[in-house]
Amino acid sequence: MERTERILDLVALLLDAREPISWAELREHFPADYGGSDDAAERKFERDKAELVELGFPLTYVQGDDERRDGYIVDRDAYYLPEADLSKEELAVLYAAGSAALASGAFPGRDDLAHALRKIGFFAGESLPTPRVRMELGSVQEGEEKEVSARLEQLWDACAARKWVELTYASPKHPGTTQRRVDPYGLALRRGAWTLVGHCHLRGGLRTFHVHRIRELKVNTARPRTPDFQVPAGFELDAHVAYFPWQHRFHEPVEVVLRLSGALASRAASLLPGATLEPVEEGVVRARMRVSFLDGLVRFCLQLGPDCRVEGPQSAQARLKEMATRILERHADPHEKVSA
Amino acid sequence: MSNVHERLRRLLFLVPYVSKHPGVTVEALARALNISHEDLLEELDLLTCVGRPPFNPDDYIDIYVDNDRVYVDLDQRLFAPPRLTAGEAAALAASAELLRPAAGDALQSALQKLERILPPSTRERYREMYRKIDASTEAPQALAPLTRSIIERLEVTFNYARPGGPPEPRRVRPYELLSHRGQWYLQGFDHMRQDARLFRLDRMEDITVTDTPFLPPPDARADVPNPARSRTEVSVRVRFSPVAAPYVKERFGRDARPLADGGVEVLVAGDSERWLTQWVLSFGGEAQVVEPESARAAVARAARASVGL
Repeated sequence: MERTERILDLVALLLDAREPISWAELREHFPADYGGSDDAAERKFERDKAELVELGFPLTYVQGDDERRDGYIVDRDAYYLPEADLSKEELAVLYAAGSAALASGAFPGRDDLAHALRKIGFFAGESLPTPRVRMELGSVQEGEEKEVSARLEQLWDACAARKWVELTYASPKHPGTTQRRVDPYGLALRRGAWTLVGHCHLRGGLRTFHVHRIRELKVNTARPRTPDFQVPAGFELDAHVAYFPWQHRFHEPVEVVLRLSGALASRAASLLPGATLEPVEEGVVRARMRVSFLDGLVRFCLQLGPDCRVEGPQSAQARLKEMATRILERHADPHEKVSA
Repeated sequence: MSNVHERLRRLLFLVPYVSKHPGVTVEALARALNISHEDLLEELDLLTCVGRPPFNPDDYIDIYVDNDRVYVDLDQRLFAPPRLTAGEAAALAASAELLRPAAGDALQSALQKLERILPPSTRERYREMYRKIDASTEAPQALAPLTRSIIERLEVTFNYARPGGPPEPRRVRPYELLSHRGQWYLQGFDHMRQDARLFRLDRMEDITVTDTPFLPPPDARADVPNPARSRTEVSVRVRFSPVAAPYVKERFGRDARPLADGGVEVLVAGDSERWLTQWVLSFGGEAQVVEPESARAAVARAARASVGL
């Protein structure tokens, strides 16, 4: 009998059973499948049982007593999906977010997500809301979407099962690629790019990897149900991935003070989340922030234009002047002398 | 995940779904399961062989297609799908983070309800897996009222920041939210411009959902313009150093032409001087406008202004 069919037969049998079903009975019911030597049959049933548990089938083995015999039983109430009583608005928001993630073509746990959306829609009747939210990663080039999507799926499975992965990584900072063995702790989405955070065996520490820069990926297939590592207690993904360029951990953090005026003053909180803001005068705001990649912040300041000034430290002001001078040199009118 | 696992998950949903929607068309069922017509017929074939010992005629699932509609007469107790697994709930919750579950709003209460219907034995695992995906910082607070306004089809008002002037009040029929490279946009009909427009969420302030209803057009869909693919009267040739080249190639792919020195060159739309100068300046000297001369002069002016000259 095909394995899918056998497992579904087991589901039907166990859901209908009023009494525990012993191993001997199971062997009788499925002689062609659980026949043969005791060892082989038991191993086969163990694999089927593991599959049932992974499907969320609440299977337990009970030791018999005077009133009940030994065997496997299922807690039916724990099997069936109950109504979550989601309001129309709650359902719509979950659908909008879930569908946007699915349609993006690249969200870890896509299969899980697709099944989850089906299940929460089960009791919703015909009136499922049409989501109007879209997500485009943008870091993935045409033709590479499938690859990134497949890698995210592999990484999601590896994160969930805590299995190490081996990856070939192409960093834009260095020519060529490196081979790494990584314990994957989790995946974070920042500015349309997925980042894997994990312990890198090559560097002997925590490292981050952009998923679209992974050229090859293999998950450890040995002992799939035994985790290879523990995620350290208190580990938080957000503490290791940068959202803004100045948050990359390239040097010891320094405090930088910016002065925002004009149209930038009222947008200071959304432009520089996490910065401490203080009003200086009408229409002028001072922002203090910790920066661990000064060049990243300086480039951002240049982009914001003259309404953003660097007040300190002196090293940040010097760096801004240096970059501005370089830009001027590259865009100089051949008849003019360059200075900044 | 193995094919067997995926198939089992699908089949354990299929039977209850047909049980709940008797007479569902083959096409609608295939769509609900996201499989092809042929694959669905194969699954239905397999299900007719499924039953419980002792396998008498009434012990089998009785599922059949009649006149292109699917019915189930005996579901063998598969009348509801299995509960969410820890992985399914975690993926759903993590995707919900894309719309930020602000305390007290619909998303937050939905997630609480979801956790309540998880089997108690999987809740810890669910929380552990949920922590393994982090998409939350992509989501600005503005998504909460805007999502509500799109779902309820109500106009919104907000103040929109613009360069060189105070924010402008806008009244918009919100059609769609779009995240592109981590930047969120609202696409909608702008009453002031009497046309469809894209608005950046990080430039909106004081968003209010009004009680003015509207009917959205069926095909409202906007794309964020790709500067290397837009056709404008003037194109600008920008050259990038070998240091910046790998990042530019990641963004522009084949539109980034390799140069002999290891750098790249991109031809971009020249219709917005402001966008162009900001963009070139953001490379901090690793980008250079080659032509036209007017664009080079604009970048030089912006660089001088940034250091107060």
